[in-house]
Amino acid sequence: MSRLEVYSPEGLRMDGRRWNELRRFETSINTHSHASDGSSYLEQGNNKIITLVKGPTEPTLRSQLDQTKATLQITVNLTKFSKFERSKTTGSTKNERRILEIQTALVRTFEKNLMLNLYPRTIIDIEIHVLQQDGGVLGTLINGITLACIDAGIAMYDYISGVSIGLYDTTPLLDVNSLEEAAMSCVTLGVMGKSEKLSLLQVEDKLPLDRLENVLAIGIAGAHRIRDLMDEALRNHAQKRISNASNK
Amino acid sequence: MSTLVIPGDEITINPDVPVILGPGMYNDPVTRDILPVNAGILNTSNSKKGQTIYVEYDSKRYTPAVGDLVVGIITGSFADSYRVSLANFSTPVSLSYMAFPNASKKNRPTLVIGDLVYARVCTAEKELEAEVECVDSTNGSDAGFGLLDGGMIIEVTLGFARSLLFNNEFPLLRDLAQHCKFEIAIGVNGKIWIKTDEVKDTIACYRSISDCQGKSYDQFRDIIKKHFQEVTTTVEE
Amino acid sequence: MAKDIEISTSESKFILEALKQNYRLDNRTFDQFRDVKIQFGEELGDVLIEMGKTKVHCKISSSITEPYEDRPFEGLFFISTESSAMAGPQFENGNNTGEDEVLISRIIEKAVRRSGALDIEGLCIVAGRKCWAIRANVHFLDCDGGFVDASCIAVMCALLHYKKPDITVRGEKIIVHPVEEREPVPLGILHIPICVTFSFFNPMDMEENVKGESNSEIVIIDASLKEELLREGVLTVTLNKNREVVQVSKAGGLPMDALTLMECCHKAYSITETITNQILKEIKIDNEKRDKYSAILSSENARETS
Repeated sequence: MSRLEVYSPEGLRMDGRRWNELRRFETSINTHSHASDGSSYLEQGNNKIITLVKGPTEPTLRSQLDQTKATLQITVNLTKFSKFERSKTTGSTKNERRILEIQTALVRTFEKNLMLNLYPRTIIDIEIHVLQQDGGVLGTLINGITLACIDAGIAMYDYISGVSIGLYDTTPLLDVNSLEEAAMSCVTLGVMGKSEKLSLLQVEDKLPLDRLENVLAIGIAGAHRIRDLMDEALRNHAQKRISNASNK
Repeated sequence: MSTLVIPGDEITINPDVPVILGPGMYNDPVTRDILPVNAGILNTSNSKKGQTIYVEYDSKRYTPAVGDLVVGIITGSFADSYRVSLANFSTPVSLSYMAFPNASKKNRPTLVIGDLVYARVCTAEKELEAEVECVDSTNGSDAGFGLLDGGMIIEVTLGFARSLLFNNEFPLLRDLAQHCKFEIAIGVNGKIWIKTDEVKDTIACYRSISDCQGKSYDQFRDIIKKHFQEVTTTVEE
Repeated sequence: MAKDIEISTSESKFILEALKQNYRLDNRTFDQFRDVKIQFGEELGDVLIEMGKTKVHCKISSSITEPYEDRPFEGLFFISTESSAMAGPQFENGNNTGEDEVLISRIIEKAVRRSGALDIEGLCIVAGRKCWAIRANVHFLDCDGGFVDASCIAVMCALLHYKKPDITVRGEKIIVHPVEEREPVPLGILHIPICVTFSFFNPMDMEENVKGESNSEIVIIDASLKEELLREGVLTVTLNKNREVVQVSKAGGLPMDALTLMECCHKAYSITETITNQILKEIKIDNEKRDKYSAILSSENARETS
């Protein structure tokens, strides 16, 4: 068999997962305590991202000053070596429309979740570096920001957890990698905490309308699982810090 | 009798009577000719002082002039004044904290960003930022100026706003009053604030006033009737 | 986009209060899409769409070029959306990098180009050497909300309306026949995507939205400019008549219940159906008007069929 099988008749995917299994989810929190006010390093499968939160600080530009709430700024840096093949484009990818779209989507997602009204006349600057990408990057970015913002101590209503789901024929596959992403149409979700409320929903390829509901249900369940994983990681980290503090 | 004039037209006036020039008229300093500089309807009237002549023209962009009654939005606040916007994408004007009735250094007005105010333009020099006031500085009375609470804003052309405010024959408000009771503030900057007791009446007024622009007087009654019927039927559905 | 239009607190409160009581300023119901007016120009592939006060123009043009090296069997297809100060003072001339402008052009790109609405393999002339390049230029002429919806309709109408000149290939040589000489050929359209935009308003506070169970958020279809300025969340669903979801974009904004979003998708489907039928009908009428020789050239015998 020369061609990789996306989903084998035995119910296994290319990387050996079942349809409803997430990828490896590992995270460290407060990785860049010197350089930023809050940071996280997240590995979701082969996606590896560093998120740095700076703020709330005084804005450098007058136009960023809002009398009623903090301005949220998110910069995504997709490094050129992050994919299997080095990106050939010369110059910076900063002004690429795709990146601008991702940044806008992230800002609008977190604007409603972070309690920005508590920090008027300031700016919160979030910087994300994608060191390696392997499908479902937008979801990973959402998770990274959530963790880093909690570390930075910015008030928020709840976790937002992101995940991508693909639809292979009639089987939804949870948390797709890049090979699966290329082979089928995918849905990305950003779910608010343990609720069924979607902050972000993106479908980029053709998908039968009658299957959408099924895909969303799987996605929400997956996102809730990711929320628990993030919660666990955060609590472990916090426990360590508390015990360090009490030893003094 | 209405005559249409276009910039550059010649105007015949009685040379024996003193002439008072209004908006849209220009006196050439060299030739002493009186020329219209805006396109619109020529208006002349005679009084004891002399003959007044001006062009009634309809435009969309508002330029402040002293004595104008305007409706503005507070867009910023400074140490001693508010910044007020009279029209979108226009230079903002300022409203001093002292330009309120009973104002003193200690007694500050309590307007916040986003509030609507009814005010009078008090200075409008073309080199300076225009200023508005919420008290009539000519006689010191509050004259209904100040915060407009609640209600809704309707944007109309400047000519329409002027006829609504100054023309006593204009039947629109009289016709509206037959359907509901309302509070209204008309700004010559093309913003009309209206407030009624119920949302549906405000909606009907909003649609009626917007739709009556550019229609003849005798159509008003039907337009208003139509809109008031529409809002009552939506409720029943 | 539209950053500098100032809306007073009273006005925003009033519009929300009216929505709570089931009223919209322009006398539409929440689920009512504005009537779409399609006007075809003199030339092929020249379309003007009007939805209320919103006006969008689209023109298709074609040329013969070389295909991309890595895709020798495909033609080229570009969509460029341009917003200028013509659409309203809130748009800056030559600045297409604003948040909303980028989102609009990305959604249209995904809805029409990436979904394969145009058969680009059919644009190939000589594999690896020559192919057609089709360009769609979208201009926003007047703005009263609903740019995405209107421009998607405009692009699809223009593509359906356009006909490229007929060609003959003789070895390496390509002869392009002028339109007067030979009937031009229509483009291959594989499906007609239609965008429907939903706007969300939150009648309660943020806490109720995040934690509450009431799901009381207000959903309206095809917002006007004022509603667009005040909305707290937006969802654009692109569907086609084959019950396929082509693209869905809810880039943040108010968190919404998944079931409400599904309901929106189903509502969008019935709108998609009506608009697709309207487009096809108007294209047919316009084609018949242009086809003045058909009666003479028809091989059928004119026979009374009473």
